[in-house]
Parts: sequence; C-alpha cells; structure tokens
Amino acid sequence: MNSIPVVELHDVSKIYPMPAGDVHALNHVNFSIQKGEFVAIMGPSGSGKSTLMNMIGCLDVPTSGEIKINGKSTSEMTDDELTLHRRETIGFIFQKFNLISLLTAYENVEYPLILKHGHKDDTTRTRDLLRMVGLTDGQMQHTPYELSGGQQQRVSIARALANDPTFLLCDEPTGNLDSKMSMQIMEILTDLHAQGRTVVMVTHDPKTAEYAERIVIIKDGEIVNE
Amino acid sequence: MSEEKKSIWQKIYSPMILSLAIRNLKLNKFRTILSMIGIVIGVFAICGMGMISAGFTEEMNSMISDTADTLTISPVGEKVIDGTTTTGFSAKDLRDIESAVKSVTKEYEFIPMYSSTKYIYIGKETTMASVSGMDANDLEKIATLIQGTLPRGSTNVVVGETFAEDNDLRIGSRMIMLNSGGQEVTSRVVGILEDTGVMTLGFSTSSAVVGSIEWYTGLVGDNHGLYDMVIVKAYDPTELTPIDDAIEKKMNGKEDKDSDDTVFILNSYEIMEIFDEIMSMSSIFTTIISGISLLVAAVAITNVMLMSVKERTREVGILRSIGTYRSQILQMFLYEAGLIGLIGAVAGTLLALTAAPIMLMAMIGSLDAMLSLSVLAYVPIGILIGLIVCLISGLYPAWKAANLNPVEAMSTD
Repeated sequence: MNSIPVVELHDVSKIYPMPAGDVHALNHVNFSIQKGEFVAIMGPSGSGKSTLMNMIGCLDVPTSGEIKINGKSTSEMTDDELTLHRRETIGFIFQKFNLISLLTAYENVEYPLILKHGHKDDTTRTRDLLRMVGLTDGQMQHTPYELSGGQQQRVSIARALANDPTFLLCDEPTGNLDSKMSMQIMEILTDLHAQGRTVVMVTHDPKTAEYAERIVIIKDGEIVNE
Repeated sequence: MSEEKKSIWQKIYSPMILSLAIRNLKLNKFRTILSMIGIVIGVFAICGMGMISAGFTEEMNSMISDTADTLTISPVGEKVIDGTTTTGFSAKDLRDIESAVKSVTKEYEFIPMYSSTKYIYIGKETTMASVSGMDANDLEKIATLIQGTLPRGSTNVVVGETFAEDNDLRIGSRMIMLNSGGQEVTSRVVGILEDTGVMTLGFSTSSAVVGSIEWYTGLVGDNHGLYDMVIVKAYDPTELTPIDDAIEKKMNGKEDKDSDDTVFILNSYEIMEIFDEIMSMSSIFTTIISGISLLVAAVAITNVMLMSVKERTREVGILRSIGTYRSQILQMFLYEAGLIGLIGAVAGTLLALTAAPIMLMAMIGSLDAMLSLSVLAYVPIGILIGLIVCLISGLYPAWKAANLNPVEAMSTD
C-alpha cells in the first residue's frame, strides 16, 4: 500500500514582480517527500531554496502549480487554514532560532500547545521535550537572551516538536552555531529521524547535508539533482 | 488536524496573548507610562469637568427647584396717593392680577406681601435683612417651618435658617429694629424657616425676617395700603408661563416685556429652563475642550502603537510562522492599547473623583451633589471613554501588525 507523501510539489513556480522585471524564484519544481524521510535541500545563495522552504512551510503560496501537505492542496487554503497547518503539521527550526524574546524557554515551548488547546500545558510535555533536547530545569526559566546559541536552538527544536507535527522543517539549523554545537544539533535531528520523524532541512553546508539520507539540489529555481 | 471548539469568551480572552501584551508594556515601561499620562489627562479633563458641571447643575437645581413653581410679581409704575409718589399694588391691582391667574388655572396660591430691607440690632451687632409681612397662613404655603411656630401678632417673627445661624438666633431671641418714626421696636423670634438657598427665584428665606402684616405695618408703615409684591404659586409649573403671559397682557396691555410695563414678573420656571440650557451648553463646551486633550492622547497612542509594531515586526513574523492567527496578533496589540486605556482611564477617573469635590466645595460650598447619579455616572463614563478611545487608537496599528507577511516580517532585523 502506497502512503500519501508528506509533501508534494507539482509544477510549482514562484514569480516575484519587481520594477526591474519579474524574478522567477522557482521554475516548475516537482518533487515529493515521503513520511519518515530525512531530506536536505541544498543550493547556493539565491538558488530559491528559501522560497521553496517558505512554500513547503505554508508561509507563502506559489504563483502557479500545486503544493500538497499530507495530501491536501495549500493553494485554496485561507490564511487561517494555512496558519492552522503551520501550527499542527509543521515544526519550524530556524537559523536564527526565532524564539519569542518576551517568553522564557519553557513558555516558548508551551506557546504552540496553548495556541492549540487554549490553556496552559497541564501535562509534563513541555518539560519532557526540553529535557529531551538537553535543557536543565533552571535553563527552562531563562529568556532566550540568557541562553547560548546552541541552547536556543535546542529550545527551538523542542518548540517545533510541541504539537507533534507531521514533519520538521529546518532552515539552516546550524547556520548560527559553531562546529561543536552544530554537531550536537544535527545529532538531535538524526535521533528524531531515527525515531520516525520526517525531517526536511534547507542548507548550503555539505557537511550538514551529509546527515540527510536524501539530498535535493536546487539551482536557479530548478531542481538539478536528486 | 482539528481546531478545538472555542467559546466567544475564549476567542476574546486569551491569557497567553494577554501575557505577551503585558510583558511588552512592562518591557517599554517609560513609553507605556507616557502614553498612559496622555489618557490620564484626557479622562481627568472630561470626567473632572463633567463631574463639576453635573455637580454644579445638580446643586443649583436643588436650590431653585423649590421655588421653580412661582411667579414673583413686582410693581414698576409709580402711583401718587394723597400727594405722595409711591409704588405698590392696590386692591384693584391685586384683583386684576388674580383674575388673570384665574383665567389660566384654578389650582394656584395667591400671596400678596409687604417687603423691604431693614437694619436690625441683635445685641451689639448690626445687620441688614429682608423683612416681609404676610399672612401667616400664606407664609406656610411658600416656606417650611423647621422649628417653632408661625408668626402672629405684632411682635413675633420667624427668621431664615442661615440668618439665624449667622446671628446666633434661636427661638425666644430678641432683636431690635427702628420703625418709620425712629423708635426702637423689639421683635421676638418664634420660628425658624428652612433655607431656600441663595439661588431662590422669588421669596428667599435665607436672610429673611418675616412677620404678620400687623407686625410689618407697625414697623415700616402701610404704604397707603399698597403691597410690595405678589407671589403666585402654580401647582403645575408648566402653567407658569401661560399665567405669566396672562398677567402681562392684563397689567401691561401686551405679552412682551418693555420699559412701559406696570408690573415686572419673575418666572422661576422660565429662569430654571434658561439656567438648564446655559448649564448644558457650558457642559457641551467643556466636554469639547476636554475631548481635544483626549484626541491628542489618542493620536499619541496610535503613534506609540505604530512604533511598537515596527519594533516588533520580527516577533510578529515568528508568532505568525508558528501558528498564531492574524486575529490573535490583532488581539495582542488591542490588549496593549486596551490596557493603556483601562489603567489610564481608571487613574484619570480617580484623579477626577479627588479634584471634583475640592472644586465643588470651593464653588458651591457643598459636597451633597457628589453623591448624585449624574455626577457618579462620570465614573463608568470616564473609564469607558478612555478604554474605547485607546482601543480605537490601537485599531490601525493592530490591523497593520496582523496583516504583516510572516516571511517579510521574520527577515526584519
């Protein structure tokens, strides 16, 4: 029995209208990601990999073509439906961590759970996730500015896992970290993949891409090698 | 994937979003306080001016409402009697006036009286008072005795409450006045009249000494039998103006007042209406002036909120990317504006509640009006105005934040 791909892109193009002329960020891109895969999308700067990530992450919609997440097309979704998808289907891990500076590490991870359930986490899930990524109870009460880059990225991973998403979408997850921290973060992602998680990672670093089981190379908005 | 069903309250009130709003306000304490000060001033102005105006109107109305059912008719034209020029109402004048009253209503009181001012010697003190002479039964119709009995006979008088307090008079006290022949006449206080206040339109008890007609004529003389004044009391105050017109027509030959008139009529009901109109105009004027300060505060809040949106563009992008709805972003910024408004408005209202009694005490010497509904209504009105103004001020910045593109917002440093 063939399972529905987690992510499907059919002839996806994205054009940004500019005063100097249209910019074709993506050109008729086709590919899919199956459940449980660890996929690295690689490409040089300006190749369209960030645009691709935004499309897969339901942060942007294509100019033409169709994107399906868990078999559902995002083209016809309203803003609220896309937001709901981002909250419950996708776990974002950003290069700059993107934690909410007003909240503690614990609250950052608890936030998606509150968005989903409308109340504070009355289980041990938030604490368990933070412990799993290696944060101590004391560090959980720190604000992002009081944590190191590596610790912030661990919090970011815990937050991404909070609502048990279908897949993790990582944008240069080690881009702001030193090599030791990078390795630790990649080991966490590898462990998560080993536990059955689908991981989609955008990177320009070949060393980071080596952790993936499948590498998609994008250049000038087109997939050139798989 | 399913959205949990939320009640309307859960949609309006989100503890997490509120917590974010509060934290942001705390993070920018100085800016928050400055914004609040604007609202405090605006609400204080509207609320304070409103309270003072309402309190003043309330107090004035309570002072004049007791006599807002009377016409006070005074003679204007001169009469020559026995070679002496004088003024006053003759028996015929009184009959004419009363017939004019009767042509409008059967429900009235008609009280002719004598009235003048006299020096009074009480112990070693000398003071001036308004002395009146009228039938004791008539006095009962236009004034209330709070102590003692009505004045009858040639030596008994009643005095106004304020006059009694000011001159340390009580039942049994004596005072001396000089009669028209320059002889001392001693009068005995037998009763105290309830104060009708300084704003009384017509017969005022405040500084009055009232005795019988016998007492008055013994003291001042009978002025050839001419009365100084007539008070007409209507049981339906709305009949006062038609009665006024009828008397004008009968006595002055026309309804309009001019210099040829033989009688002058003070219509307390019309005066009260004019007073109410002046007070409401003054209230509107002060509200507009106060509203301008609130408008300035509103513009400042919009500016502060727009700055806040600009500074937190990246944060909004992050919140949107991890699944925060546009409506929740809108909610977050409206919470901030609402909190500024609520705290500022409560502070402004409290300040007004402190300042208004001080102002009222200075203006009218009484705090009774502070507890009236029209004054206390400004407490919820002030808070609501502050809150609503801030929410409206925050609407555009909140809408702007809610409609930020998450990708562009996140790329902002």
